[in-house]
Amino acid sequence: MKKEKVLIANRGEIAIRIMKACNELGLDYVVVYTKEDRASGHVKKALKERGSQAVYRISSYKDPNEIFSVADHSGATAIHPGYGFFSEDFRFARRAALRNRPITFIGPRWEVIRDLGSKINTKRIAKSLGIPVIPGSDEPIYSEIEAETLAEELFLKQKEQGIDKPSILVKASAGGGGMGIEEVNHLDVFRQVYRRIQNYAKRQFGDEGVLIEQCMRDYHHLEVQLLCSQHKEVVHFGTRNCTIQSTGRQKRVEVAPGFDPSIWEYPFDARKVLDDMVKYSIRLAEKVEYDNVGTWEWIVTRDGKPYLLEVNTRIQVENEISACISRISRQRGPVNLIKEQIRSALGEKLNFSQRHVSFEGTSIELRIVAEDVKRGFAPWCGTITRFEFPDEPWVRVYTHVPQDEPYEIPTEYDPNLALVIVWGKDTQEAKERAKDFISETIIDGKDSRGNGIITNLSYLYEKVDEVLRF
Amino acid sequence: MSINLNDLLRKYKSHPYEDHEILAPHTGVVKFKVEEGQAVKGPSGQWLHRPGTLLYILEREKNPKRITSRFDGIVTDLRVDLDGKFVEAGQPLMLIRHRLNKQEITNRILKEVLHIFPAPERARYFFTPEISAKFEKGKTKSLSVKTGDEIVIMSLMKRDTTLNYEGPSGVLYEVYFKNGDILEQGAPLFGVCLPERLPFVEKVIQRIKTEWDD
Repeated sequence: MKKEKVLIANRGEIAIRIMKACNELGLDYVVVYTKEDRASGHVKKALKERGSQAVYRISSYKDPNEIFSVADHSGATAIHPGYGFFSEDFRFARRAALRNRPITFIGPRWEVIRDLGSKINTKRIAKSLGIPVIPGSDEPIYSEIEAETLAEELFLKQKEQGIDKPSILVKASAGGGGMGIEEVNHLDVFRQVYRRIQNYAKRQFGDEGVLIEQCMRDYHHLEVQLLCSQHKEVVHFGTRNCTIQSTGRQKRVEVAPGFDPSIWEYPFDARKVLDDMVKYSIRLAEKVEYDNVGTWEWIVTRDGKPYLLEVNTRIQVENEISACISRISRQRGPVNLIKEQIRSALGEKLNFSQRHVSFEGTSIELRIVAEDVKRGFAPWCGTITRFEFPDEPWVRVYTHVPQDEPYEIPTEYDPNLALVIVWGKDTQEAKERAKDFISETIIDGKDSRGNGIITNLSYLYEKVDEVLRF
Repeated sequence: MSINLNDLLRKYKSHPYEDHEILAPHTGVVKFKVEEGQAVKGPSGQWLHRPGTLLYILEREKNPKRITSRFDGIVTDLRVDLDGKFVEAGQPLMLIRHRLNKQEITNRILKEVLHIFPAPERARYFFTPEISAKFEKGKTKSLSVKTGDEIVIMSLMKRDTTLNYEGPSGVLYEVYFKNGDILEQGAPLFGVCLPERLPFVEKVIQRIKTEWDD
């Protein structure tokens, strides 16, 4: 591999994982940070490994000029966007590719991000390929009258289908990550919710477009992990189940594989459903000539019907649980999807195909967050004074929270503290290990009024028992 | 509330200065256009449409950005060693020692006279769409507020919370932020003037007008 220098245009634990992947590939890297993140672990790690020449303070992670300015000054040849920020911004990827001094964008090519970055366009392509999608709007709605007409239609349709409590979802079109979504149970309150979401979308994303779709009840949220290359290779790394989410629909516990018929009975043929989702995902990937890592998000209803939600054209927070249960013959140990993503973006071949991939055991991801689960997952702000967790061969912990000094959680970002990846030879063992890990983890801290830290550890403990159960 | 206007004015007269640290707003190569000890001007004109003295040019991605002074004052602590160099965001570049004018003194004293509604957390703040609409129609200083009114939206970690005003009823007299600003915990969001204090507020303004030399 030619000597490359990767600019890591992200923060927190994903920045740390990308640094590790770069180290393992023998690549140089530089990191950026904002004033609020000066105490973050990703800055400390970069300073320790590469010195101050590899660490740049910028005004914002969301300013593309800052990223390109640092890329040029530092001589970076590639940009890894991580997740969030520029990871699904096709304009950013296009600018990287087409500027006078081109820089490799570590992700799919910009045309693919553009085409699949829009949930609506994805829906259209999927429909044309016979892939099932959720009934609802095919484009962002800006007119209240148009929105109300569609809402009425969706309520009527559900009544016709005999659905007991019909409801619809109103979403900020430009949103993501579970933010800016509200459920409407009755047409009478639709207009009020529509206006609220429209205002929220305008404030947060500068675009007041809103999507409306049928709200599916009693479903599981699943994902298919794909890895593709610029040489038209497509490999899947199985499925994940991300059903356990906060009230704001942010994931908290994820499991790979997506269902486990050996421990739970499902009211449908779980293996067939998983196979169908993988088959459909690959069909869409091949159609658009997908060329990097990506996640195909699905919901599966109680009657065993899968519906494609969207495609995340980036590395996903929870990618590692898929990697953790995947084995590639001729390679030692679990897969590192971030490494594979970087290799693929730099134009390398995968060096393996689907027949070389096998799966072993179950992996659970726990997202430790400073939040008050009892108050609607309200974020907690303050300073962490102690953070200790067990060190076991079956667990990996990614955190930007330093363990050797107090850490003030920046209020500009979500209060995610750590990602915990647990592996077990089967689902039962993975669950037991996850619970052991939580029991032995200690987090202390205080807010500005002197009250103790609130985290979601006990919530995670309770939820581990429920994983994969329909 | 007892406020001694004479004491306040004496305090400001004994040290009528404020040092403004000039930080690089973003990364780029800096080229200074002022010298140590130079007097600089802030923006001027009826609508502040004439920019202040050019302090430095910050070039990033082939875009030279002209950074002008936002204050009248004297340049001190100029980092001449950074001239022509790449700087990071937030890099201190110089100080401008500014002499407070009548309006600024008035604003500072008003903060002590008005009922201040502070930011409960370090977060991004917006007025509610209803209040914003009233401001757009120019209805500032005629907007009455009372406990329970929804005035401000706090956006913390991307979650929006509507804040209800708590405090004495009165007129929303001063606003200390623009929609979308990030404020530190405790920073003033707006000041409410109690009806009975309006004459005192007018007196403050009048005295500063006559006693302070700009």
